[in-house]
Amino acid sequence: MSDSENLEQALNEHDLSTEAALADVNEDDDEDEDAEPITAQKVLDILETAWTNEMCAPELLQHQTDMLELMLSQVAHMEEQMKDLDKNDFRFVVHQMELERIRYIMASYLRCRLQKIEAFTQHIINQDETRDAADKRLSSEEAKYAQDFAQHVDEYFTKVATRYMPNQQRGEAEQRIVAPNLMSHVFLKANVAVSGVIVGVDDEEVDLTPGSQHIIPYQLVADLVQKNQAQLI
Amino acid sequence: MDPSIIEFIGEKSMISIIPNFSNEPLHLIYGSVGPFRAGFPVYVPLWLATHLRKQQKCRIVPPEWMDLETLEEIKEEEKRSKFFTKMPSEHYMVVAQLVMSTAPDDVPRCEELRTIIKDIFDIRESKLRTSIDAFIKGEGTYAKLDNLTLLEIHSVRPILPYSLDHIARYQRIATASQRDTSMLGLSTTGGGGVSGSGSGSATVTGSMSNSFFTQ
Amino acid sequence: MSRSNQMFGDNAFDLLKDLKRSAQTIPAFDDDGVRQVLEEIKAIFEENVAQASSYNNSGDRSLWPLLNYRHAALQRNKRCLLAYLYERMQRIKAMRWEFGPIIPSDIKQALCDPEVQFFNNYSKSLASYMRSVGDGQGIDLTGNLRPPKSLYIEVRCVENYGKFELDDGEVVHLKKNSQHYLPRAQVEPLVRQGILQHIA
Repeated sequence: MSDSENLEQALNEHDLSTEAALADVNEDDDEDEDAEPITAQKVLDILETAWTNEMCAPELLQHQTDMLELMLSQVAHMEEQMKDLDKNDFRFVVHQMELERIRYIMASYLRCRLQKIEAFTQHIINQDETRDAADKRLSSEEAKYAQDFAQHVDEYFTKVATRYMPNQQRGEAEQRIVAPNLMSHVFLKANVAVSGVIVGVDDEEVDLTPGSQHIIPYQLVADLVQKNQAQLI
Repeated sequence: MDPSIIEFIGEKSMISIIPNFSNEPLHLIYGSVGPFRAGFPVYVPLWLATHLRKQQKCRIVPPEWMDLETLEEIKEEEKRSKFFTKMPSEHYMVVAQLVMSTAPDDVPRCEELRTIIKDIFDIRESKLRTSIDAFIKGEGTYAKLDNLTLLEIHSVRPILPYSLDHIARYQRIATASQRDTSMLGLSTTGGGGVSGSGSGSATVTGSMSNSFFTQ
Repeated sequence: MSRSNQMFGDNAFDLLKDLKRSAQTIPAFDDDGVRQVLEEIKAIFEENVAQASSYNNSGDRSLWPLLNYRHAALQRNKRCLLAYLYERMQRIKAMRWEFGPIIPSDIKQALCDPEVQFFNNYSKSLASYMRSVGDGQGIDLTGNLRPPKSLYIEVRCVENYGKFELDDGEVVHLKKNSQHYLPRAQVEPLVRQGILQHIA
């Protein structure tokens, strides 16, 4: 059993180092200097919410690079610790199962973002150009991917068709930019009380109580989702 | 969202098991579980409970609400109420389904429970369909959906948001084409016509611009 | 454009119908079809340019509907053609997720050169993206496609595959119709390729 005890100990220690890493992240952020360090559990929580929000939102949401990096190292660290264990050990199997779940969440989350990046490439690139560094939706890796993808698509279309088309005016390529429909309806659950949310074109207002659920055009609640006052379900 | 994802999320629900082994607590990333003591109940996530049960390492203790009398009351109230009543678990269908399929022997009167839970689900689904019908005919774009569970929301996801999106889209197109017609007389100004930008769902918009003048 | 029974845009529409008919595969790239549509676009455009200048000189309003009609036909042609290419691109992308970085040879025959090039570019940038995630820690997004149910799944062999070595060094023989209980993560690629079948 000593192996497993070591494992448990190592995993606990790593919880602390995760907190330390998070404290570092927070230090970079002027607004949150006094923020409490987050546990691995909290990181997972944030990632899960980001994942479901991303699946339900029509547009690309803000990236979660910090959380993702922390969780990836936590997972890698656990795998390292578990390497020498008996594959049939009760603890090994349970930890392994949990890692599988976490890996799935991360992979599904990133795949979902790639799908949106591929569908709305130019739109997303254009929008991000107008945003401050801290508000960019694309992570730096995604930004590179988006640029590459846009170029590859453009190259393909040019070679096969558009270069043979007469009268390619400047406006036409822009008209081909595909943008998400921000007025598409989503299911929303309020995390906290929010008063005076406009819910219709005629400025009808509603107060959301914590835990209440709604169907509503996305654009009217996009800021609530961004501020984590509500989440998409 | 794929149904398997709804199940995946529901599997996070905590449930009581009685292990037949003993072990120190496990420090999982999402939180600690255990300690496990043979013969003593302990709460674990459903995904772990079903795994241990398949390995014959525990018995599952059905949640309190998985009880005929309780469910009978819920069913009656669901029938009486115009609104959706609050379910004892946010994932009652997923939990019930997984527990009863993995460990039917751990659930007293399993078959009867299965029937009554299905009844409750059906009552709620038909209520849901009626209200959707009224909602769409009322040309609403916003509604409150309190007490609906994730699976129930998911069951209308293919219909509800999409038909609302389509209705909204037709309305915008109707407005746009009115504008389009009224602009025809003016189009020698070379304003580039009406593009579909911002309207409709993600489609490539082909505008009716008077490009043959801008050669 | 004086073919009697044919309307503007018919060729372009045929391209799309062809794709729709074979929704599960990538049909051969329709070189001729694409060329015909491009020629039609060019012809319509030239006719319109000629008449637009006479419209501008004479101010003859009777030409207006004709110009509009041709323009609409031209836009429709472009739109159908681009939709054809876009849909093929989607299927080519899906192939990368399904089969990995190498195009199966039977499918490769159906692609035109720029499409093969697109696939290779797409494949490379996806791979380099996956390597770069998490400050270079990397993550394989083409695995873990479904929510994990169990670490092990029961599978049946659809064809003779031969020896398959698991991460822990154990070797299993995958013979046609044999059944196995194997780690899900490791056999998922074989399931996707249709060599193994997941039995519920």
